[in-house]
Amino acid sequence: MSPVDLLEDSYSPGIPSHTAMGSRVEVHRFRAGAVVGTVFLALLLQAFLPIYLRKASLLELPLLVTLYFGLSRRNPARGLLLGTVVGMAMDGLSGMPIGLYGIALTLVGYLASTIGGRLDVEHPYSRLFLTFLAFHFQHIVHALTRRWLLNEHEIIFSLTLLFASLFNAALAVPLFALLDRLRDSQD
Amino acid sequence: MLTSPTHRRPIVLLSATLLVQILLLAIQIRRPGQVRLIRVWSVGLVTPIESAASWIVGRLGAGWKNYVSLHQVRHENEQLRRELNDLRMRTGQLESRSAEATRLAALLAFRDAHPPGALLGARIIGAGPGASRTVYLDRGENDGVRKDMGVITPEGVVGKVLEVYSSTSQVLLITDKDGGVGCLLAGSRTQGVARGQGEALLLLSYVNNDENVAIGESVLTSGIDRIFPKDIPVGNVVGMHNGNPFKVIDVRPAARLDRLEEVFVMLSRAEWEPPPATVPDASPKSKAKVQKP
Repeated sequence: MSPVDLLEDSYSPGIPSHTAMGSRVEVHRFRAGAVVGTVFLALLLQAFLPIYLRKASLLELPLLVTLYFGLSRRNPARGLLLGTVVGMAMDGLSGMPIGLYGIALTLVGYLASTIGGRLDVEHPYSRLFLTFLAFHFQHIVHALTRRWLLNEHEIIFSLTLLFASLFNAALAVPLFALLDRLRDSQD
Repeated sequence: MLTSPTHRRPIVLLSATLLVQILLLAIQIRRPGQVRLIRVWSVGLVTPIESAASWIVGRLGAGWKNYVSLHQVRHENEQLRRELNDLRMRTGQLESRSAEATRLAALLAFRDAHPPGALLGARIIGAGPGASRTVYLDRGENDGVRKDMGVITPEGVVGKVLEVYSSTSQVLLITDKDGGVGCLLAGSRTQGVARGQGEALLLLSYVNNDENVAIGESVLTSGIDRIFPKDIPVGNVVGMHNGNPFKVIDVRPAARLDRLEEVFVMLSRAEWEPPPATVPDASPKSKAKVQKP
């Protein structure tokens, strides 16, 4: 199994998993190259959009992509590996020490996959709420890591962050619906 | 179950992924002073272990050293204890010899105060059995000892020869019930007879009640018994009371009869001359004159 296989679903048997409560939860598969392509596009836009649109700096597209695939595929191993790859790529683009975003998105990917296997995350409100939580969770982990390792006092909460989290949560609803179209037709 | 391998694998993978990233960060990040964080952590992780290991090794080494030292000390202690016992024994022997030398010096002085051949030195070699107050000398008939000869020490009268054998003789002490010696009080020159009672003290008899006798007064031989010459110390008055018809006077013998070691046998009845007060030097020439016991 290659790293790309871990990110993709081409080998996935697509067997429905079971929630902790015993109810059946559907595990979604995606078309070949959909995950890699989406991640690549998200990273690209995250890097270039803020140059042209100042408000685009509030966007956290890599976070949204990680969260979406984690919630949809409901596989903790794949979720955390996707988070790791996306996070380290963000670190590489940001010029910060590699691992700061990596740690945060690894945890987000893992938790999203875990939650996705237990709850119904298809409803827009639940997606809105989960994105809001994931944004702050990622920021808190990122800030604490910077405090611990870099001795930098990153602000954990501010109005700007609150606005950014609401903005990303609101964006997540149509974005996730759009990404739903990448699911395998047999799914 | 959360503990099954299937469910545990993501947790392990998550932990490993996070650990790798933290280490990656530690390699990249430099702390003030340009020291990489990974080095700070490594030192921080290893130093306590090294300190603990060093402490343990030090303790073990010190313990081992102490054990070895203790073992050696114990060995040395036993050796020193043996040496101490040897030295104590040697000191005892030297003290005994010193005391013997002192006694012999006194005997020499006493011997020199009398005509040659008058006194024969003898050593006490045994004591009589039971309640009898007798001792045995290492001199006998072969040495010129005869029955009823007087036996004295420089301090005073000891007794008389009771039996004579070829090389030993038996002496009846004056404290024996059958012992006795003719005496006189040194102050008043009153004569009497000192008799043994089978005890430590002598009983001086035949002194009239109206005689003035003082406690501590010296009692000397009177020479009447024809065993001892006149004026040899017998003892001192230690107690008295009037009796019927004579005074009852207790006399403590001048000679230490309970600690006798060397004595003189009076081979002839030469006139008694008091010994000089000073002890002559114990030169080999002087010692040669003494007939050692």
